[in-house]
Amino acid sequence: MTGVNTAGIRQPETSVAGPDTLPAPGRGPLASLRKHRSLALLATVCAIALGMAVWGQLAPKGDATPLSVSNAGPEGARAVSEILGRHGVDVHKARNFEAAMSALEAGSSPTLLLYDRSGILDEPRLLDLAAAAGRLVLVTPRLETLSALDSDIRQAGVVPDASPALVPGCSLPDAQAAGDISGKSGFVYDGGVSCYRPSGSAAGLLAVSGDGRLSVLGSTGVLSNDGLDELGHAALALRTLGGSSELVWYLPSLEDLDTFGSPQTLDDLAPDWVRYLGPWLIVVALTAIAWRGRRLGPLVFEPLPVVVKAVETAEGRARMYHDAHAVEQARDNLRAGTLARLAGKLRLGPGATAEHTIDAAARLLGRPAAEVRDLVNHHPRTEARLVAWAQELNNLEKEVSSR
Amino acid sequence: MAISGRYVLLVLVGLVPVLLAPGWGTVLAVLGVLAALAAADLVLAGSLRSVQLQRAEPGNVALNGTIDARLTVRNDGNRRLRGTLRDGWQPSAGARNPVQDVDIPAHESRRVTVRLQPVRRGDLKAPHVTLRSFGPLRLAARQRTMECPGAVRVLPPFHSRRHLPSKLRKLRELDGKAAVQIRGAGTEFDSLRDYVRGDDVRSIDWRATARRSSVVVRTWRPERDRRVVMVLDTSRTSAARIDDETRLDTGMEAALLLGVLAERGGDRVDFLAFDRRTRAWAGSAVQGNLLGQLVQAMAPLDAELIEMDWPAVPAQVRAVTAHRSLVVLLTSLDGGAPEEGLLPAAARLANDHVVVVAAVRDPQLGTMLRDRADATGVFRAAAAERALLQRAAVSAELRRLGVEVVDAEPHQLPPRLADMYIRLKAAGKL
Repeated sequence: MTGVNTAGIRQPETSVAGPDTLPAPGRGPLASLRKHRSLALLATVCAIALGMAVWGQLAPKGDATPLSVSNAGPEGARAVSEILGRHGVDVHKARNFEAAMSALEAGSSPTLLLYDRSGILDEPRLLDLAAAAGRLVLVTPRLETLSALDSDIRQAGVVPDASPALVPGCSLPDAQAAGDISGKSGFVYDGGVSCYRPSGSAAGLLAVSGDGRLSVLGSTGVLSNDGLDELGHAALALRTLGGSSELVWYLPSLEDLDTFGSPQTLDDLAPDWVRYLGPWLIVVALTAIAWRGRRLGPLVFEPLPVVVKAVETAEGRARMYHDAHAVEQARDNLRAGTLARLAGKLRLGPGATAEHTIDAAARLLGRPAAEVRDLVNHHPRTEARLVAWAQELNNLEKEVSSR
Repeated sequence: MAISGRYVLLVLVGLVPVLLAPGWGTVLAVLGVLAALAAADLVLAGSLRSVQLQRAEPGNVALNGTIDARLTVRNDGNRRLRGTLRDGWQPSAGARNPVQDVDIPAHESRRVTVRLQPVRRGDLKAPHVTLRSFGPLRLAARQRTMECPGAVRVLPPFHSRRHLPSKLRKLRELDGKAAVQIRGAGTEFDSLRDYVRGDDVRSIDWRATARRSSVVVRTWRPERDRRVVMVLDTSRTSAARIDDETRLDTGMEAALLLGVLAERGGDRVDFLAFDRRTRAWAGSAVQGNLLGQLVQAMAPLDAELIEMDWPAVPAQVRAVTAHRSLVVLLTSLDGGAPEEGLLPAAARLANDHVVVVAAVRDPQLGTMLRDRADATGVFRAAAAERALLQRAAVSAELRRLGVEVVDAEPHQLPPRLADMYIRLKAAGKL
């Protein structure tokens, strides 16, 4: 078949070396690797790229938690903790509730910074923390957190967009010393001594309880790396947090979610044998795959001869005419073809000219020769005219052949 | 190795003890038993190392006919061989039952018959045979694929055979063997015979009639022992499909009909398949049945994707015969540049021989020509018109060179070529 014959062509007849003397194609993995060199190279590049992507995904990322003391990004609070550390404040980073409690209990009346974004801590734990801490600084606390601590400070909405910078407006020495701060995307709190009140509001960005043990700061911008150098942020942050020599920095995370006492899972309720059912069915499925997937011998090579549809060339030319709007060319072809066929039908012989053919056709049909000549020699300018003319030409042919 | 559906069922049944006594210990125990059963079955299965295969050559078959391929499997091992056999015929061989169950006792052999119904012409191959030998429990099996090359030659179908009787009758009329004669049918004086009613009165030999009491007519017979050389073009243009078959296949049909007819007509026939080198050759010079030789020579032919070497064709024809003969070129009139290839070669051949060019016309061009409903249709008609005009121009040029042209649609080409041969023979032009 084709394969055999093309092999024959590649090997010239004049060649003295028969197929036996040709070097035998190498076998083994090395030879096949050499054969598919570009494929192997491509596979290597793909593998390396994939490996790098996976490694990049799996590699430990830098801390991206907002207000984390180890986050050096714009949202982090590494700057303020570093500054506090240089001024003799011992900043303990607590990873979870137990660490925070032990740090609080180890220190002597330490300050606790609590930034519970998701409201993870429940009431008993909050109360434990509040009891252990000398002073409590809450950053943008939620309503539940404030009510759990049973303080008189309440949430009172957000800082209006119209108040970019807020003046202290209270007698608190920390606020007085710090001066103006930005109220951008902050919350205001009511109750106790409230400072940085937006105009026309009784609640302020900073609220301190009557006994001074609880401070509520309504903006993360005051502590973040990004906003620390603006207005009086740094002064307010340092004075609020640096009140005592020890500071416990606690950001509750999902790790602290209270899972104790959750209802029984489906796994606990199901009988014992259920856990073996799935794996065993997988074993059965694997066996079934091995049963059906094992082929009875290798596939057999089918050499396919090349076969092309003969009319393709004419159709390709037709598309070219259409795309190029070759009206004139199409008209010439149709006219020549019609004349040739008419000459054949009228038995005019191979030497018949167009004029002879037209005259003979007109005579046969009993029509004026000029009319037939005008029809055959017409030059259609548009495709629509070409279609109409081609049909008329076809009709003329039919009329001649029906006589 | 392979496992059976029975083994899968057994694994499923293994779920029962696992569920009755849940625990990893049970799981491991059941898995162990299953593995041990499979291993035992494998060990006890008949060995495939000691199996001998022998293939009987199936021979030739016409396209779409059926043939039995026989394979003898000999089990030289000491254990009974029970399992499945697959004869690896290529798909176009159309094996009806390539997968069969075998059961061969030790030191015995069995014959496996695979029925083939090939769907393609050519040499169809079966490179290997695969055997799967199950153990006594039929749970697991050994499997081995063995090289066992076999081939069946599928011959061209010769559909144009049905035209043969009518063409032979025409030839006999020429020959003077038919009772009713047409005058001038042959060119060589053959014999005298009695007049029968219906004979042409012009063929009455008055001189012989005068010597006898009855009317005698002369009979003529066409010239005999002329040569017919058929050249089949196997170059790229013959790969084109028209209707349901390629130009190559149509050319084969035409060559078969003409070859058989010319042989009956008493002429010597040579067949040559050529593109840049000779692909096949057959002729009456060799002893044996011409039709058999022709189909054997044609069977493995395929169109090659190379250009026809027309300048070499006259030399090829000269190599076949030095005498004046009828040279039939089975090729195409369109595609490429016939002006550069076919025309000069035909002109050179026409100096020494009677040349006929037989080509297939695409009936689809005619359909394209008539559909003029919209712009697309009209442009298609224009393109078809151009293709037909080109063919007509090449045909006219060939006729001007004194070459006869048979330009017909696929199913019409073989009878038309036969008619052309009969006409040339009747006119004594060979």
